[in-house]
Amino acid sequence: MTATIKANLPVFVVIAPLFVAFVLPTFARRIRLVESLVIAVGVLGLLGTGYLASLILIEKGIPIIYSMGGWSAPWGIELRVDSLGAFFLLVVAGVSLPVALFGVDNLTHEVGGSAQTTRFYVLYLLLSGALAGMAVTSDLFNVFVLVEVATLSCCGLVSARNHPRAAEAAFNYLILATLGSALILGGIGFLYIITGHLNMGLASQELGRVWRDYPHVVWMAASFLLVGFGVKAALFPLHVWLPDAHSTAPSPASAILSGLGVKGYMICFTKVLYNVFGTTLMREFAMHRILVLLGMIAIIAGSILALAQDELKRRLAFSTVAQVGYVFLGLGFANASGLTGTLFHMASHAVIKSGLFLAVGAIITTTGKHRISEMAGIGKKMPITMAVFTIGSLGLAGIPLFSGFIGKWYLLSGSLEAGGSLAAVVIIAGSVLCAAYLFPMIRIAYFEPAPVEDWQDPGVPQRIALVLLAAGVVILGVLPGPFLELAKGAALELLGSM
Amino acid sequence: MRILLDKLIINYPYFAAVILFIIGALTVLTRSNLFKKLIGINIMESAIFLMFIAAGNIRGGAVPILDEANPRAPYINPVPSALMLTGIVVSISVTAFALALIIRLYQSYGTTDARRIAEMKREVT
Amino acid sequence: MRDFVLKRVAALLLPFIQMYGLYVIFHGHVSPGGSFAGGIVVGLAFIAFATIYGLERGRAKVPEKATTLVESYGTLWYGLMGMIGIFKGAPFLANKLAGIDLGELGALSSGGLISLIGLGVGIRVASTMVALFFTMMEDES
Repeated sequence: MTATIKANLPVFVVIAPLFVAFVLPTFARRIRLVESLVIAVGVLGLLGTGYLASLILIEKGIPIIYSMGGWSAPWGIELRVDSLGAFFLLVVAGVSLPVALFGVDNLTHEVGGSAQTTRFYVLYLLLSGALAGMAVTSDLFNVFVLVEVATLSCCGLVSARNHPRAAEAAFNYLILATLGSALILGGIGFLYIITGHLNMGLASQELGRVWRDYPHVVWMAASFLLVGFGVKAALFPLHVWLPDAHSTAPSPASAILSGLGVKGYMICFTKVLYNVFGTTLMREFAMHRILVLLGMIAIIAGSILALAQDELKRRLAFSTVAQVGYVFLGLGFANASGLTGTLFHMASHAVIKSGLFLAVGAIITTTGKHRISEMAGIGKKMPITMAVFTIGSLGLAGIPLFSGFIGKWYLLSGSLEAGGSLAAVVIIAGSVLCAAYLFPMIRIAYFEPAPVEDWQDPGVPQRIALVLLAAGVVILGVLPGPFLELAKGAALELLGSM
Repeated sequence: MRILLDKLIINYPYFAAVILFIIGALTVLTRSNLFKKLIGINIMESAIFLMFIAAGNIRGGAVPILDEANPRAPYINPVPSALMLTGIVVSISVTAFALALIIRLYQSYGTTDARRIAEMKREVT
Repeated sequence: MRDFVLKRVAALLLPFIQMYGLYVIFHGHVSPGGSFAGGIVVGLAFIAFATIYGLERGRAKVPEKATTLVESYGTLWYGLMGMIGIFKGAPFLANKLAGIDLGELGALSSGGLISLIGLGVGIRVASTMVALFFTMMEDES
């Protein structure tokens, strides 16, 4: 029995959340049962992904390949757990569990009614399943399907609160995201037309043979995919949907959207870029230069826009735009340190940003205040929440001993290896700006006189969730060992498949 | 010129797809009526579907079902059609969800015009 | 009285439309069409009934609880059919590898688990279409 489960783990981590999601609506009246089912799926997912990751670490990165229905590629669909997949699976499981825990007892109050809460959890599990699928898929069309599942569930999560502004943000997001998915599907179509394969490995081999005959088609495919994934991952000039969507969603939704939702598209883009196009083609078509340039613009512009916001959730949302820039920057370096830095930064940003959004969500539900200038003295009233916010801010700014530092350190050495000293300056400037837009909140919260109102830290499940995420930030910063090992392995794998 | 024209005639489904795609994208980006935006999205997706299916087509090819009498007859590639069925399912769900959102927006703002909604929101704040 | 003809014709045609939908679902592996197309046809029959005979009578035919149940358990059915492969020691969604007799080429029974999976998908699609229709129509009024 255990052997069967172990052999089928790659498929279980993807389908378990999906099928539980579909069964949830029938239990809508018993909200306790729904909550415990979601938590149970989260815990099982964490155990399963932990086991897969340890397998990959022990076996020195030999990928586990799972053929659906016993049909191997090119006939069937292949799931592939390699270092990159195991790494991202671990991030998804590790972040989605605390966020689900945060919703216990709290969510009914924020979205109104148990039916709405159940609907929220359905979308939440669909999103987790789609993200897990993105981590392990190695089929181009599956990428599109999973991207669509994730997009629709994200839109549903944004519109979960019954508020006209939420509906408007969700509609704008839906229209732009569908534009993006049409472009992604078009890009995949171009690749399929010239290679005749949908499996990433086979398509890559074939592309290496035929790209000289169809340079324009390769160009079109690359630009369609870049713009498509750029819209979805909120790359700077295409980020317009993100601030509204992430600031009007309920807090657990903002946490998972900003922390994980955006990352899934980036993982897909990384896979398509490195596993299909490969570094040779990237250099041939100067894609890496474009990525570095876009990344630098996103870091600076996102940080400056974040500085201009007074509403705390919007400031965090714009900060996500800046951090997305780091990821694209690292993808453009196309060397081992740059990619390690990118992947590690993705993981640490996922943990930090969900922690920050949850802390802010707790503050907003307790105090009802949205603006930074109104939050004087919160640190004394809500010590745990504010401590988590402080740890997250330190981590995001890249202070040593917190997780953000390691990712940025590798990104810096990657930029120097790639010979881009301007990029190195931008990385450091981004950190300084990040401190500039997050630290004022800490100053106001701790060093300004507190009002007399009776505000308190949130309930026990919320506190556990917040402390888990803060602990994640510190552990990733002090003892990154296995995570860094996985990220390095993933970087080498991505570079090796040219 | 002659070669270009020949290429155009041979590849006409792709050109139709490009034209449809541009029409759809322009409709999405320039129209302020929410329904028209949604229609634009649908036109754009249809363009992509057309491109995929045209890629799988062989002129004079048979239906991809085994013909006992003539097992070696050329048949069209069924994979793109199957994939586009999935694409159509996705586009239906997007359309349904967007329509539901439009209904909700209409209930709270009383209009389906994106510009009017933005104005009303500015007046509130 | 105005839509007397419409109602009579619908009463005559709708059963056959539904039969046709089920036919398309079950013949998905031997002829064009399949569970999605068939499910849409079945769902459209219900929608046509509700538009012709009025929302309330349509709702009486398919209560909200029924669509929720069918949607949830249709998907679960798909999952269970996929799990048969795992119980037999083969991968998820395995068909022949799971020891299912595939029968004769071209026969209706030649799909193994595919027709059963198709049934799950088909009724799910049908109920989703119906649920979408009713959600939007009832939202408006």
